[in-house]
Formats: sequence, structure tokens, C-alpha cells
Amino acid sequence: MLRVENIHAGYGSSEVLHGVSLKVEAGKIVALIGANGAGKTTTMRAISGMIKPTQGRIILNNQEVQGYDGAAIARLGLAHSPEGRKVFGPLSVEDNLLLGAYSRLPALFGFRKHAAAELNRIYELFPRLHERKNQVAGTLSGGEQQMLSIGRALMAQPKVMLLDEPSMGLAPVLVQEVFKIIRQLKAAGITLLLVEQFARSALEVADYVYVMEHGKIVLEGLPSEMNKNERVLAAYLG
Amino acid sequence: MLTDFSIITQLTLSGALMGLVYTLIAYGFQLTYATSKSINFGQGELVMLSAFFSLSLIDRGLPFAVVVMGGLLFGTALGLVVERTAVRLALEQKNEGWILLTVIFGLLGFSVAENLYGRDDRPFPTPISADAISIFNISITPLEISIALGVLTIMGIIELFKRRTLLGKAFAAVSADRDAAELMGISATRIIMLSYGLSGMVAAMAGMLVAPITTVGPTMAAALILKAFAVAVVAGLNSGMGIILTGLFLGALESLASFYIGSGWREAPGLILLILALALRPNGIFGHAVSRKV
Amino acid sequence: MEFLATRFRAKFSMFKRLLFIRGAELLVLTLLAAMPVLVNSTYALGLLTLLAIYAILLIGLDVSVGYLGQVNLGHAAFLALGAYAAGLGVSLLELNLLSALTGSLLVGLILGALLAIPALRLEGPQFALATLSFSALTVITLNELEAWTGGAQGLSINRPHLFGWSLDASAFYWLCLIFLAVVWLIMRNLLTSNWGRAFEALRDSPIASNAMGIGVYHYKIAAFAIGAALGSLAGGLYAFNFLYLQPQSFTYELMVILLLGVVLGGRKSLWGALLGATLIVLLPNLLSNRLVFQIVSATGLLFSIVTINRHDARNKPFQTFPPVAAMALLLAGSMLAQNIEDWRKAIFALLLFAVVLGLPDGLIGFITRFLSHLFRIAPPVLATPSPLDDVLKTKLAHGETLLEIRNLKCYFGGIKAVDDISFSIHSGHIHGLIGPNGSGKSTAINVISGLYRPTAGTLLLHGKALPHGSLYQVARTGIARTFQNLQLFGELSALENVMLALKDTYHCPLPLLLLGFGRADERRAQADAQALLALVGLTDYARTPAKNIPYGAQRFLEIARALARKPDLLILDEPAAGLAQPDVQRLIAIIKQIHQRGITIVLIEHHMDVVSELCDLVTVLDGGKIIAQGTPEEVKRDPQVIEAYLGAAVDTH
Repeated sequence: MLRVENIHAGYGSSEVLHGVSLKVEAGKIVALIGANGAGKTTTMRAISGMIKPTQGRIILNNQEVQGYDGAAIARLGLAHSPEGRKVFGPLSVEDNLLLGAYSRLPALFGFRKHAAAELNRIYELFPRLHERKNQVAGTLSGGEQQMLSIGRALMAQPKVMLLDEPSMGLAPVLVQEVFKIIRQLKAAGITLLLVEQFARSALEVADYVYVMEHGKIVLEGLPSEMNKNERVLAAYLG
Repeated sequence: MLTDFSIITQLTLSGALMGLVYTLIAYGFQLTYATSKSINFGQGELVMLSAFFSLSLIDRGLPFAVVVMGGLLFGTALGLVVERTAVRLALEQKNEGWILLTVIFGLLGFSVAENLYGRDDRPFPTPISADAISIFNISITPLEISIALGVLTIMGIIELFKRRTLLGKAFAAVSADRDAAELMGISATRIIMLSYGLSGMVAAMAGMLVAPITTVGPTMAAALILKAFAVAVVAGLNSGMGIILTGLFLGALESLASFYIGSGWREAPGLILLILALALRPNGIFGHAVSRKV
Repeated sequence: MEFLATRFRAKFSMFKRLLFIRGAELLVLTLLAAMPVLVNSTYALGLLTLLAIYAILLIGLDVSVGYLGQVNLGHAAFLALGAYAAGLGVSLLELNLLSALTGSLLVGLILGALLAIPALRLEGPQFALATLSFSALTVITLNELEAWTGGAQGLSINRPHLFGWSLDASAFYWLCLIFLAVVWLIMRNLLTSNWGRAFEALRDSPIASNAMGIGVYHYKIAAFAIGAALGSLAGGLYAFNFLYLQPQSFTYELMVILLLGVVLGGRKSLWGALLGATLIVLLPNLLSNRLVFQIVSATGLLFSIVTINRHDARNKPFQTFPPVAAMALLLAGSMLAQNIEDWRKAIFALLLFAVVLGLPDGLIGFITRFLSHLFRIAPPVLATPSPLDDVLKTKLAHGETLLEIRNLKCYFGGIKAVDDISFSIHSGHIHGLIGPNGSGKSTAINVISGLYRPTAGTLLLHGKALPHGSLYQVARTGIARTFQNLQLFGELSALENVMLALKDTYHCPLPLLLLGFGRADERRAQADAQALLALVGLTDYARTPAKNIPYGAQRFLEIARALARKPDLLILDEPAAGLAQPDVQRLIAIIKQIHQRGITIVLIEHHMDVVSELCDLVTVLDGGKIIAQGTPEEVKRDPQVIEAYLGAAVDTH
């Protein structure tokens, strides 16, 4: 569904990614783990078009999309729940969700009717969001904002979803909650690329794992293999 | 004493109605500032050029509704031109050059008007009567009422658009978080362009509303625009409806000032308010501070 | 022998450079001074006088437009205020010429400083609006105070005597020229000193300016007041030149012309201001003759086509072609327009448009590049580095408490970014601060360094309370920091970045500095800064603007700049972020060297290998609270730390 081939990317004059390749198959959850600053978020940003790769190819659903801007890639069926959640603070929960489906809804009238079914599905998945649908998103708690960010990405009915650090800054209880949601997404057959600091939990939900260091993929394999790998042991427990 | 009171009421009312025009132009600044953190320093020339354009439509004997529609379309088009030729060029380079470029655009517009239409002020015929009617001893003209109605109608329509349509909500999304909006498939560039289009339309409306009172000439908007700046800054470039109150207040204040201190001082209260507001509350009375991350 | 030859070459190239620059100054001044004798024309003399006046005016405007980088729409008002001050000084107070001009200067200085106070916190559009309003308010006031100014009727002035002499046109011209020469010298001395660098630094990063002990507040007021004072001095001369003043002369249009002069001549350059003044003085003549105008606009069109950068043209056509289009429009207009004079404003607009987009360095930038290429003028030779021991004296560290943090809290709305933390940093230590993203590390050091004001708590440095919420004041207590998101002064060279931050180097008082006695300080600063650049291995980048050096080197430059503060405590905020592996090793070596000089270091870092290798003690934060503290080895074994931060990818047991 999503294939990344040897991309190089960075900010200004500094290159952060030195040739990253990975693959996400339909209906699978792929985890990308690695230390802070290894380039995981940059990889996500390059895939969703927030930064333009200087080299390499990104193929989404058999179409080359490198060099497209974020809006165009989103319209082709990629949804990105970014690091730090980035909900639209001044807007209501429901407006946030509706905007998640922006690329497939009519811009002026009747968009509510078009979105109703999907909206109900999200509210079923996250009853808490339904309770607060008229509340301003900026006043939600961190965990609720994370739900909203995931829900907003799901509204687009994406072919591939990128989920960047969903547990960041959340209390342990909420982290468990987030992983419960990810398992629900897996059950629903969503194709997902997950970046996570909690490597152990990420390995539990993933079908396949890539390990990044210093802007490169240094290891890949099934979670069961990773659990036995010396290098992963060393990298994550010093 | 009673007459004094009625003079004050009269001055306050007619000043406040005029103040709504400042509100309308300031509203145009808010529209673009929200999406792109930029405003058009040549907006006054946009007001003036649109007024000239609708005057030329009137001269051709077109019906008034067509004139209004034509004027609004013309203003929108000019707004788009400003965005493309001035603002975007500078924003792409991430510098403050847009201020200079929009100033330049204004000067160019002024020169074009001066040469195409001449430097004289021309009357703007309108079907709405300028004969005063008296309510509770206060005289008011249908023309003044039409200003209030016109301002509130167009602002109401745009606000409805922003709150009730998905495209309108996208405006708020871009202004809240541009990157996140792009991730939703909202093209920020297009939203910014659209906001300049709307801002131009609003300016055109303002031009057509004041033209019957101020007459149409190259300098018709010179004083107007300074007070619109004042309203926008005093209320806050990023705050919503505070501009209506601020506009009413400033309009009333300057009408009183020009009566009691002298007509030459008419523009002074707005300018002083603007400098004071910038000194004391740079984000406006109704605005809020935006923190900066390092 | 070899050594002597190098020395000689260096001396020679310095001499050649001096000869060119100072020679050009002298030559132009002599030429200008000789003009009244050479050309016997009242008209030409009038233009020359105006040239001298406008040059002073534009040098003043360049301080805010060029150095501060703000669009200033209020300079015409200072011209007006200076002119009226001089005029009224003569007609009401019967001042003599020099006192009247001093009065003009003071009016600008005081009003400029006053206007700077509200305009101070403002950037970009707000600054432009504040100055624009001031301008409009000035014209209104001059119009309305009829009793004094004569209002719209205008004010006639007699040119007073100078030491008993009455000045004829050429004598007055020479007087203006003398003023220009003095302003030129003073401003050259000021702008090439640390003041000039500070003005530029304010624009690139106010936060870093404060953190480097450059008070944004003082420098912004000073810069604006100086610019305004020059504007009103020019106003005084303007008054005695025309001997008749009207408020209508100081319009918006004049303001745009002045901006055109500065931008077209070239920002941040005295020569640019002189060139700009020449051009705006000649503009009216340019417009009155169609053939001349056609030739000029055709030349402009050619010039804009020739200078197109092929690479940019392909990648960013919309950035590249507008200047060409504007010049083409100008040429077409010069053929078609009935009366060119009528289109004056449109012509200014198109010219300015083309210059802003196509020639951002102005004509002088272009000419300088051309001349230094033609005559192979080498850039000035840099001072040899001072011995590092003179710059960073080795401090004795006994491990006593240097910084004590007690019950520190920092809340943003409902978010408890830092929630009641207490710990101490001991002198001579490298103290690590680690934790997951959003755990409060950055907030903690932002509070310590004064960027944020704490909600509650005590901070003690050497047992004395630290100032709260002021980067500038904290910087002066001996704490220096680097920034995670780099805050370099991008337009300044690497060397200038460091020179700017140097503490205890600049001793020359301002009046002497203006007279040119700051050179010794300047050489010393250069040598000291070179030593610090050498320490972090950036000698080769000394002359390169900070924004153009590679990312890794920028991180090292931040460290060198912070060291220029000669700090007791150095805070490094994620110095290894985004560094490639070899650079990380270099960073470790540099931090060790700094540590050996007895400087205490707080290190925020994600790379655990860096933390393990360097830190004596590590504090771990999570959710705004301290969850562990100890040596790196202890912390790494702590189950809570593994759970919250290091990540339990697999179980070790």
C-alpha cells in the first residue's frame, strides 16, 4: 500500500534522513522505533509531504507522490495524526472531525449529511468525543486530544494512516488506553504506520518492525525476532 | 442643556454609523491576518478603485444591483491580484517584504486612478435618499441607515460562510495550525488566496457604501484607511467581533472631536488610540497573546 | 622568509583595501566640495545641497530599515519635525543657525526615543502601522497649530547668520557637506562597532540578543532615536535650504520615495544611502525628459534580464520574473504615456517593486561585488587568535553548590509543565537533564535562563536569587545558554556572532567610540572571538554568514557564542540534536575541553551515550516531576526511568 524507497530529507542545510526505505502492506500495522532524534518523525513528515525529500521515491497505492504537497497527498488517501496531536484548538470537537474529512466532502453545503455515517462510527469508537462534540478542542485533556487526532485522521477514510507518538506526554493509564485504540484499529483492518517511544508496547501490536538510528533503518523484522535481537536489547536498555 | 444633549446624541449617532465603515475595512484586515499573518497596506486604494469601477458602471446606466455585484466582483479580483503579485512573493521568501510590496501596490493603484479617472472628486449617484428623516428629534438619512445595513449584512454573510460551511471552517483550521490543516488536505495557499479575495470584496463594499457621502476621488480612502487600521489594531488583528464596538466608538469619538476641537483634528483620536493601543496592548483590547517557542 | 612574505602580502592587501575605501571617500568628498567652483549653476547647486541633506536623511532611515530590518513609515515625519523645529527656533526664539540645528537634532532624538517606547515591542506590520500613524498625526498637528506653524499657509523662514556671516548658496552647501561628512564619520564608527552588530542581531533573534546580554530594549530605543535624530537634523538643513515649509510637503509619497532611495541604493551601507540620495534627487529630472527616461528604463530592463539567476528562473519562476515584468511595463509606459510626470507615483512603485524583489542588496551590493572582483580586493585580514587562556580563564571548581533550584513550578494555563522540582547543580559538574518529550526539561531551563517566569519557586545562583523572567538580566549574572532550535544571528558572520556576545571586552565609552577610538576594542574582540571559534573548530567559517554554514557547525557556533559570555554556568539545550555520528564525537571532545576550564555545564540531551560519557550526575524528569537522580549508571538501572523514558523494548531479566 505504501512503499518508501531510499529517501533523503532534512531541514534547510541539514540532512536528517540518509536513505530510508520501508514498506507497509494493506491491513498491516508497521512500527517504526528508535531513539529520539533518530529521524522517525522526519520520515513521517516526508511521507505526508510536510517536507520534500531531496532524493528517493514514495509510492502510495501504486502512485509516486514524492514532491507533492501535503494537501495533495492527503487527497490521495493518506492521513497523518501528527506528533503533538495538533488538533485545531479554537474549533469544536465536531468541526475538527469534519475537517478531517475535508478532502472528500463538499466544501460548502451538505457536508454534514455526507459525513454523518463516518462521524457516527467515530463517535461509537470514542464515546468521549461524542459527549464533548461541541466543546472547544483546546480545552480537552491530553488523552482526549489524542483520541480526537486519531478520530480526525480516520474521518478521511484513509488508505494508509500515519500515527506519530500517540502516547507522548500522556499518563501511563492513558497510554494503555491509546494502545487499546490501536488494537481496535487493527481489528478494523486499518493500514497503519506507527511511531512510538514505548517500544515494547509497539512491538506487541505491530505486524512488522523497523528500527531507525541516525537517519537510517538499521534493522527490520517480525516483532518476535526483534524481541530476541541483541542490538535492540542494547539500544533500548543500555 | 437639552439641546446640548441632543447635539451630542446626534453627533454620536452619525459618527458611529460612519465608524461601521472603518469596522468593515478592518474586518478585511482580520480576514487576511488570520490566514497569513499579513495585511494589505494598499487596502485604501482597493476601496477607492472599486468605487471608481462601480461609478463607471453607473455611468453606463446599468441597474444598481448589477453595479453592486460588479463592484464586489472587481474588489475580489483586485484582492486576488494583490495576493499573487505582492503577498505570496514575499511570504514565500519568509520575510517582511510584503509590507513594502503592498505599500507599492497601493501607490500603483493610486497613480492608475489619478490618470484614468482624474484628480477631481466626483459624486456617486445612488437611488437611496439623502434626505433626513427625524426620529425622536434626531435626524438620520436613509443613506446612513443603508451604511449600517450594508456593513452588517456583508459581515453577517461572510461570518455565516466561515461558521457554517466546511470551506469556512478550513479558514479557522489554517489560522489555528497551518501544517495540521495541510495534513487534512486543506491547501493553505488557496485559503490565503481566498481570504484576500474576500478581503477585497469587503473593501469594495466599503467603497460603495461611503462613496455617496465622501464622493469618489483618488484620495477618498486616504483618511478612511488610517482609521480602519486604528480599529483593527485597537480591537486586535486576530480577534473577532470586537471591531464592531471599536468602530462605533471611534466613529462617535472623532465626530465629537471634530465638533468640539476643530474639524482638522478629526483624524487625531484614531491615530492616538492606535499608538496607545500598540504601546499598551499590542495584541488589541480583545486580542490574545500568542506565545513563541524556542 | 616565507612568514615575512605572508605578512607582507597581508599588509599590502590591507593597504590596498584601505586605499580603495578611504580613497573613495576622500575623492567623493573633494569632488563634492569642489562642485560649486567647477560648475557655475544655481540649479546644480540646489540639487547638490539637496543631495547632501537627503544623504543624511537616508543614513538615518537606514538605521531602522536596514539594520533593525523594520519597515519604517515615519521618517518623513521626523524630517518635518526637524524642519519646523529649526524654523520656529529661528522665528520665535531667534536662535542662531547652529543652535537651531541642534534644536532640530534634539527634537528628533527625544521624540524618536518616545515613539520607540510604544513601537519597541512591535515587529513587522505593527511597527509599520505605529510609524505610519505617527506620520499622519504629525502632519495633522502641523496643519492645525496654525498660530505657530501657519498651518496649510506655510511658514517662511530667514536663514540666520553663522558666527555673524550670512551664508550664500554655496556657503550653505558647504555647511551641509560638512554635516554630511561628520554624520558619515560618526555613523561609520558606530555601525562598525558592536553597536552596529547589536542592531542587526535584534532583527535576527531578539531572544538570543537578550540571552547574550544585548538588551533588546536599550538598543532598539537607541537605534530608533539615532535614526530619528539624523532625520530631523536633515529637516533643519531642509528648512534653511528652502526657507519655506508646508505640512503638505511631508506626505506618504515622500515616505515611499525615501524608502525607494534606501532600498535602491542598498541597505546597511553609508555608500548605499549616498547613492540612493543621488538617485532620488535626480528622479524629477529623469521624469521631465522622455528620452532620458526611456533610456533609463531600457537599461533597467536589460539589467534585470542580465542579472537573472538561471537556476532560480527554472525553480522559482514567480520569484524571478516579476522584476523583469515591472521594468518591461516601465519601458512600455515610457513609450505610451502622454505625460510621464503624471505617472510619477506608478513609476516609483514599479521601480521599488523591481528592486525589492530583484536587487535586495541594492545597487551598492551589486557594485561592491563587481568592484572587489575587478580589483581583486581581498576581504580584511582577521586578527590572530588570542591565547585561549586569556579569553576563558580556568576557574577553580570545588564542587560547592552553584545553582540551587527549590520547589520550582511553571504552569501554562492548566498544564503543569514543571511541577515542583528541587535539585542543585554543583560547580565543576556536568549535570545531565533527561526525560521523554514534553517532560518539562526545556521548560525548566527556559525558566532558569529567564525566558519564562516561574509560577512559584526559588532559584539561587551562588546563594543569591536569580532575576525572574528576564533573559537579559539572567545573562548578566553569569549564566549562558544555547538553543535547541538554533537562534543564531543569521545575517552576521560566525565571527561577528561570537564578537557580539563577548563580555568584558568593550571598554570604550560611546562618545569616544563615535570619534573613532573604538578600534582597539574591536581588534581585541576579534582576536578573542577567533580563539573561541578555534576552540570549536570553526576558524574556516569565520567570515561566513551564520545562516550559510552547515547545520552541525551552527550547533558548535552556538556553543562558541555562549562561551563568549565567559559563563560560570553553561546550559546546553540538546546540542547533539540532528548531528551525525562524527560530529557527536567532536561535540563530546569540545564539552570535555570546556569542562576542564572549570565551567559548570547543564546538559539536556537525548543521546544516552553522550549523557553516559559526560555527565557526573543525571536528573530525570517525567510529567514535570523528578523521577530519579544519580550517576548515569544508577539512573539507567532505575526501573521507573526505564518505564518512562528509556523504553522497555524487551525485558532484561
